[in-house]
Amino acid sequence: CPPVTPLVSPQAFPLPSLPRRQPTVLVVCGPAQNGAIGLVCARHLRSFVPAPPCRPPRVFWGEFFRPRDTWGHLGTPLSPPQVQLINDAYNAVVDAVLGAEVAEGPEPCAAILATLKHIRIPIVSLDVPSGWSAEAGGSGGISPEVLVSLAAPKECARRFGGRHHFVAGRFLPHEVQRKFGINVPPYPGTECVVAL
Amino acid sequence: ERCRCLPRRAMHVPSAASGPTGLRFLGQEEAQAIDQELFTEYKFSVDQLMELAGLSCATAIAKAYPPSSFTTSQPTVLVVCGPGNNGGDGLVCARHLKMFGYQPTVYYPKRPSKPLFEGLTTQCQKMDIPFLPEFPAEAAFIDELYGLVVDAIFGFSFKGAVREPFGSILSTLERVTVPIASIDIPSGWDVEKGKADGLQPDMLISLTAPKKAAMHFTGRYHFLGGRFVPPTLQEKYALNLPAYPSTDCVLQLS
Repeated sequence: CPPVTPLVSPQAFPLPSLPRRQPTVLVVCGPAQNGAIGLVCARHLRSFVPAPPCRPPRVFWGEFFRPRDTWGHLGTPLSPPQVQLINDAYNAVVDAVLGAEVAEGPEPCAAILATLKHIRIPIVSLDVPSGWSAEAGGSGGISPEVLVSLAAPKECARRFGGRHHFVAGRFLPHEVQRKFGINVPPYPGTECVVAL
Repeated sequence: ERCRCLPRRAMHVPSAASGPTGLRFLGQEEAQAIDQELFTEYKFSVDQLMELAGLSCATAIAKAYPPSSFTTSQPTVLVVCGPGNNGGDGLVCARHLKMFGYQPTVYYPKRPSKPLFEGLTTQCQKMDIPFLPEFPAEAAFIDELYGLVVDAIFGFSFKGAVREPFGSILSTLERVTVPIASIDIPSGWDVEKGKADGLQPDMLISLTAPKKAAMHFTGRYHFLGGRFVPPTLQEKYALNLPAYPSTDCVLQLS
């Protein structure tokens, strides 16, 4: 699980640009690897929060698992978040519910995704917009404003219509990139994120 | 002229937003206690922290010694890895240096037979990072072939006498004229008191927080890396770490 991957989210929305008086982010984590990456992302976002009035991110993981590596004060399980609550309390949502391997997850994934379809604040999806089939893409699914493709964009990213598309996860050996014909643009300097 | 007043200078670095009492330099036992707490209380795995530490080292090196600054025809780097976790940090660093466009070569004479180190070695090998079968016999050979040496031999757990082959290696490195970047502690130094007649690296990358030995560092570049200490742990040990810039994983202290 790449520890360097989730550093992109703050780049898409630098904290000073977030309009709320106490800017913060909700990270929604699903049951498998995508959710675990969300947890790592939340931890790094926490360390990027400079000082009040910015608040640390909140993590929602439902009933899937009790992660053991979170910092105690980071997240407490919320009851399934309601649309208005999310719109009012947060500036952005990080969607780490489902990854490329599955288009549906165990409940309450469907309920969560139904909620996320209706929120007005921006969504940042990790790897694939949750619920989109990795190949076909989604119609009627969630519409993230930012997509962070991990290692390389997935097929469904062709249908992404949001504002920013990044590739993150600067760890693929050159041999692997060649073998699979992965042509990600060069990462600038020592950055682990590149904008497409 | 190198400034020898590091403690005062560290507390007045203009780019650092240090607390009212300034940056702390840790003793050996304190450093070990913080490490233990990260594993036992915060449930980090060694792999996680080693990856972040090694990445910090590669990033700091890239900032201080960009490939364009090398006088060798290619940006070649010799990474000397010791028998423990500092060596592991070196292997991670070598891999990221390769991703950043450098040409690292590793010397790794004593390899623990544990999956973590075997994995890190394999990752380097599969990225075409050569492993030298023996250490260059003379300092002049190193100066000829490499633009930079990364010292990843001993870290903050080092105590007592230096065992071979590292004694000979350090003697050679002490005569090298190309810059040396030490990971966490200049190898061979006492973690708290330093070593006046020992290795004199040009760069030190302190991980987590600087140790007391760093007060004796007289090189040009002192970076802080290992941006993973939870705020509650920082408070508990009153680390007074200056703020890292933005999302950077390193902070230049001097």
